[in-house]
Amino acid sequence: MKTKLTHFLTKRYYLLVFFSLLLQPAFAQQITITGKVTSATGESIPFANVLIKGTQNGTATDFDGSFKISAAGNQTLVFSSQGYKTAEIAINNQTSINVTLQEDAMKLDEIVVVGYGTQQKKDLTGAVSLVKADEIQKRQVTTVADGLQGLVTGVKVRGGGRPGQEANVEIRGLKNLQNTNPLYVIDGLVTSGNRDFNPNDIESIQVLKDASAAAIYGSRAANGVIIITTKKGKKGPLKVEVSAKSSLQVMPRYDLMGTEEFAKWNNMAYDNAGLQRQNLNMAVDTDWQDAVFKTGMMQDYNASFSGGSENSTFFMSGNYFGNEGTVVGTDFDRISFRVNSSGTKGIFSIGENLAISNAKTDEMSGNPIIDVYRMTPTIPLYDPSNPGGYGYGKQGVADTFGTNPLALADFSNVINQNFRIRGNIWSELKFAPWLKYRFNFGYETSFDSYKFLRKVGNWTLNQPPDPSIANQNKARSETMLFENTLTFKKEFGKHDITVLVGQTFQKDKYDIIYGEKRNLPINSGNGQYYEVLNQGNSPVVGGYINEAALASYLGRIEYNYDNRYLFNAVLRRDGSSRFSDENKWGNFPSVSAGWRVSNEPFFKSEFIKDLKLRASYGELGSGNIGNYEYKSFVNNFGQIVLGNGQTLYPSAAQVKLSNAQLRWEKLKQTNIGLDFGVLNNDLRLTADYFIARTEDVLFGFPILLTTGNDGGNPIANAATVENKGFELELAYSKKINEFSFNASVNFTKINNKLVSLGNGQNENISGNTITRAGMPVGMWYVLQTDGLFQNQQEIDNYKTADGKVIMPNAVPGDIRFKDINGDGQISSTDKTISGSPWPEFEMGLNAGAEYKGFDFSMNWIASHGATVYNGFRSVVDRFDDNSNYRAGIQPWTPENPNTDFPRITKGSTLNSRGDSDRFLESGDFIRLKYVGFGYNLPESVLKNSGITRARLTLSAQNIITITKYKGLDPEFTNGNIFERGFDNGAFPNLKTYSLGVEFGF
Amino acid sequence: MKKIIIITAAFLGLVFTACENELDLNSPNDITVDQYWKTESDAQAGVNSIYAMFYKDGLWARWIYFRLDLTSDEGYSVSPWTELADWTRFNYINYNFWEGNAVTWRDTYKAIFRCNQVLANVPNITFQNEDDKKKIIAQAKFFRALHYYYAAVIWEDIPLVLDPSTPQDLPQQKKVTEVWAQIEKDLNEAFEDLPSSWAKSATNEIDQSGRPDKGAVKAFLAKTYMQQHKWAEAKTALEYLITGPGARYSLVSNYRDNFTDVNENNSESVFEIQFGDQRKGGTGEDQNAAVSSNRCQFFAPRGIGWSDGQARFWLVNAFKQEKNKDGNLDIRLRWTLYYPQLLADFGDKTYNRNWEWNNDEAWFRKGSRDYYRDNEDYYSQVNYRLVRYGDILLRYAEVLNELGSTSQAYQYVDMVRARVNMNTLAVAHPEIGNNHDLFLERLKMERVLELCGESVRWEDLKRWGDLDSQAAVDKIALRDPDFKNFKVGKNHRMPIPQSDVDNNPNLEQNSGY
Repeated sequence: MKTKLTHFLTKRYYLLVFFSLLLQPAFAQQITITGKVTSATGESIPFANVLIKGTQNGTATDFDGSFKISAAGNQTLVFSSQGYKTAEIAINNQTSINVTLQEDAMKLDEIVVVGYGTQQKKDLTGAVSLVKADEIQKRQVTTVADGLQGLVTGVKVRGGGRPGQEANVEIRGLKNLQNTNPLYVIDGLVTSGNRDFNPNDIESIQVLKDASAAAIYGSRAANGVIIITTKKGKKGPLKVEVSAKSSLQVMPRYDLMGTEEFAKWNNMAYDNAGLQRQNLNMAVDTDWQDAVFKTGMMQDYNASFSGGSENSTFFMSGNYFGNEGTVVGTDFDRISFRVNSSGTKGIFSIGENLAISNAKTDEMSGNPIIDVYRMTPTIPLYDPSNPGGYGYGKQGVADTFGTNPLALADFSNVINQNFRIRGNIWSELKFAPWLKYRFNFGYETSFDSYKFLRKVGNWTLNQPPDPSIANQNKARSETMLFENTLTFKKEFGKHDITVLVGQTFQKDKYDIIYGEKRNLPINSGNGQYYEVLNQGNSPVVGGYINEAALASYLGRIEYNYDNRYLFNAVLRRDGSSRFSDENKWGNFPSVSAGWRVSNEPFFKSEFIKDLKLRASYGELGSGNIGNYEYKSFVNNFGQIVLGNGQTLYPSAAQVKLSNAQLRWEKLKQTNIGLDFGVLNNDLRLTADYFIARTEDVLFGFPILLTTGNDGGNPIANAATVENKGFELELAYSKKINEFSFNASVNFTKINNKLVSLGNGQNENISGNTITRAGMPVGMWYVLQTDGLFQNQQEIDNYKTADGKVIMPNAVPGDIRFKDINGDGQISSTDKTISGSPWPEFEMGLNAGAEYKGFDFSMNWIASHGATVYNGFRSVVDRFDDNSNYRAGIQPWTPENPNTDFPRITKGSTLNSRGDSDRFLESGDFIRLKYVGFGYNLPESVLKNSGITRARLTLSAQNIITITKYKGLDPEFTNGNIFERGFDNGAFPNLKTYSLGVEFGF
Repeated sequence: MKKIIIITAAFLGLVFTACENELDLNSPNDITVDQYWKTESDAQAGVNSIYAMFYKDGLWARWIYFRLDLTSDEGYSVSPWTELADWTRFNYINYNFWEGNAVTWRDTYKAIFRCNQVLANVPNITFQNEDDKKKIIAQAKFFRALHYYYAAVIWEDIPLVLDPSTPQDLPQQKKVTEVWAQIEKDLNEAFEDLPSSWAKSATNEIDQSGRPDKGAVKAFLAKTYMQQHKWAEAKTALEYLITGPGARYSLVSNYRDNFTDVNENNSESVFEIQFGDQRKGGTGEDQNAAVSSNRCQFFAPRGIGWSDGQARFWLVNAFKQEKNKDGNLDIRLRWTLYYPQLLADFGDKTYNRNWEWNNDEAWFRKGSRDYYRDNEDYYSQVNYRLVRYGDILLRYAEVLNELGSTSQAYQYVDMVRARVNMNTLAVAHPEIGNNHDLFLERLKMERVLELCGESVRWEDLKRWGDLDSQAAVDKIALRDPDFKNFKVGKNHRMPIPQSDVDNNPNLEQNSGY
């Protein structure tokens, strides 16, 4: 029954498209107008938009700035182009119109895509940021998100240099506890900005930050929305763009000991513990970093073809992106194609955007970033006496459970591959100049393949023998989106009203089968395993299907009075399959208003060119949880053994608890903003203050262990989270003759607070962090150190008020810990809040200059005030467990008492505990994220070559970092929301040097 | 204009119909709880899930041995994983330490949750044969008692959860005496409905050894009474197995048959955890979840297993104190420990290796698979004899001694000694006579020699009061220096995971922590 209904629905949509094709009434008397669009300096403006006012019909100028358009003689043409002020010219039956556009530093007329429509930037009432596509494209990045770091206020991006690694984006703080990534909308398709997407295809990016801006996307927009439109063809002859970029990537390194220095301290640690020294292999001096890290290589080749005629346009592109990693056995390859096209006839227009990509990743095995310091220099890379032939720890010689990263890369290999088709087809019917119906069908499917091969061989001490194992899965994900919107837009005198109503339905499905076999034979011919699941024994198979559906109704009113008073209201009603019947539906309203003070008749200032005040309030819902969380299931995977025949019997029980009454999480956000332009708009300021409060946060805090719950914490409408923040962007640009210059500074300050944990809970501890009501999420919660004991007397004198010696087992050189609760002993009850992982503020600085054909730009980012946990030091400085050590350390000895490094001992002492503030550091840094030079070959050189544009670029990323942090990279990422400040072997950002060429034909 | 309105209205009518039915999506993957517990086979698989808890790492697959064997003076840890080792030597800093504490606590309650699911749901299911239903309920009661028994030994004052869990539960902590009372109640009720054997017989079509029978119930009742020094009740319970209707047990002639997969569920077995190696998954709830023990992978000597736990060397000397009737070493030494002279004394290598470890080190041998392989892995199929008749006999001797019948107690010790060719107690230790204290002292040693490495030492030390006075603890510390860290009045039970204490207003941390 269900499937029939879906079928019918789907069919109905096709029917609709068909109907819309039939409905094409004839139009008024048309004339053809030709002309040229130029700038004030007389240069032709290519690709300027030429639009018939009050319609969506239009064209674009070709490379010479010429255009040709059909319109009625009584209509008005609207000319616009990025960076110029829009001009309107009535046709008055002229057939030739030449236009000169004035430059506009403020770019107020920029068109902003706001979801189910566009607005002019000057009319915005919510917090929306625009990012120029070339700002992202000039960096060498794997995903769109990587390219956004430092460019937009309130948008925090954290990534890393692992091939295929996807960066995390957090817009305006941590608003829920599940996932911070925003919603991506690519050409109207709700999707993710993952590594399958080619950033070279981007035409424009807008970031919707506050509730009123994002409200139209309702339940999925609580983390903000990143709207991406891809490039479209423009009228004119075929245009070819080709670019190639090659980059080198360099891994940062730890400063670790060689064998000689290592032996000195390792022996001392054993001596101090009263243990027999290890029989260290002094003949070996392995530099594990040399063996594991290498120079990475990125290649990015892109070609696009675009063009169009009067009534149709097309854009095609192909891209190859390859990244050979900086760590052995890592690689990422992506091939992608795109075709975007559109056509118009009369009141009907239709278009599609389609991208096909295949991405293949040779994933990192284990974590070599950690392995290189857990392996001591006395361990050889290879050791034929070990199963598999790789070197690793040995009892009494090199006592460590560190894993050999080369062995892991060889014996434990994961390859992921995704073949993805993503696109949409839309059609529009313009019943009248003021009424438009649009149908959009979005479709995305991905065929995913996962292959794991475990070869026989060991990588660590005492490892139990494993047989060869092949584990593979094949999965398919599918998203279908149906959207119907009706837009009414009309001016009545000074009143400009736009009304949008719509309905959408989205269905997601994920379908996976997996299989495993053991004891795969080796092909004696080539020595390779038969890794196809045909071979081997002990088969395991399984699979599951996840489905979700979301139905929504939406409405929006935009009202503009005389370009002075702006008003915007949105209402969205969402229903999700993820909630129980009584809680399925939620209503999410928002309102916003703007006042363009500078357009008021009373406002007369030559100095202040532009002044706009904005305010908004909105509610967004989120249902960002698993598909069937409100239900309880019986797990019948288990079996048991009984009797002497070891017969297997079935077993089944509820393992995971659930809350049946889950409801929508609600984000309530208030935004107050100001836009300000002075000095002929050369200096612009945008400031925003916001309060975002999320109630009924859907999250599975750990419940009591006495419930016996396992398999994940049951999701509950648990906590309330609040983020208050301030964002400021100051930009200056100036052009003096042939020299132009621009600079902008952005500043973001966010205060996060967990208002309540819900469920009657008091606090949640995760690793070394605590989340307690009234405080930011994930504060450091550790034992506090208080210097070193210099002698026995100090130990004896370290007493409680009633005379109890607090650390009687301490030895001179040990760390003195604070007995916070005063009970005369050091235990986990002495842990206390010892710092915040949240920065006090973050900043970005962007600057650029152009002179003749040369251009230069750079981007700095800075973060101040975060306390971070150095996972690297917590391993190498502890000494109770063998690892390599930091070169040049000066541990406490009776001869060397003036140090903060405690005595070293290969034994159990409080010194070595990871849950102390010993490993907390300042996470402050300033980084040159990007610096680049470009040179455009002058037209005189290119004149007869057939090449219309040629450009060389030289750029570098992450090459200067100013920090006191002692780990690899202060700009690290940790996916655990509660342990965001824990650098647990995070893959660092890489120094990247790129050389690129671009040609246009 | 009219035309436009009509067309628009037509469109809206066509598309703006709700897709609301589409929002009712059920998981195609799993049975929901409210669809379950309808049939006999549901009940059977449900009670079986309690057995599956033996394969979880917090319990009898792995970590509980660290609590019972390594924390006692029989074992210790020099694991390079310092925190893991610290939890075997009373260095408890982080009470939430997963492997050392929280996972065993959680898995205990996970097992109890399963018992409670059966106890709450099975009574509502219609069975063809009411006896089958009763047996299922009785098994659930037995296991609820078993898991509370070990929890009471490890933590003492704990919450008693007797109904299926919900996420909002804040169960009330009970004094250990109330916990013992609940255990007794469950066991007494289970006794009524359980059969006297699950082995294949005239009444049992198939061999289901491994399920608890009446003897197993009485054994746990005896253990429970003994921990409370209820000697008379313990005597009655034990008599069921020794002289009463359940007296069907005998010691196997080959001592080692208690520790291999060669002669499982034998005449000595009272309650035996069944392990297998058919499934190669982990200890979680995955599709291929293992049915195995990891103990030997964690306890095997360095280079063979992880060696996170090993035996104290005083045990070797203890075995060597007394020769057997033929003037040779006690054969139990051979099958109990790996130690430096094993090759010289008995001709056995250690997992086919010569001794390559320190001369003052020893490891546990019981349960090892060295009789057919040179290493261990995570999939040991060797059953774990949680209670065997040798233990029962020594317990009976202890109970008789406590009740003043010391002279009657001798014969039961002698049965255990005779199996391994040792002289009778009276011959070997004539000085004891009928002195209660001397007999008890000797019995403590007899229990070590017979049961070393079988997870009974910790409860023994507690029962004997050897953890209650500084003098007694000082004596233990001579054998096991870890006990220098032991604080009397505090460390006789472990701290409760702090996260539960902090989030449950009805639960307090054990005093001293």
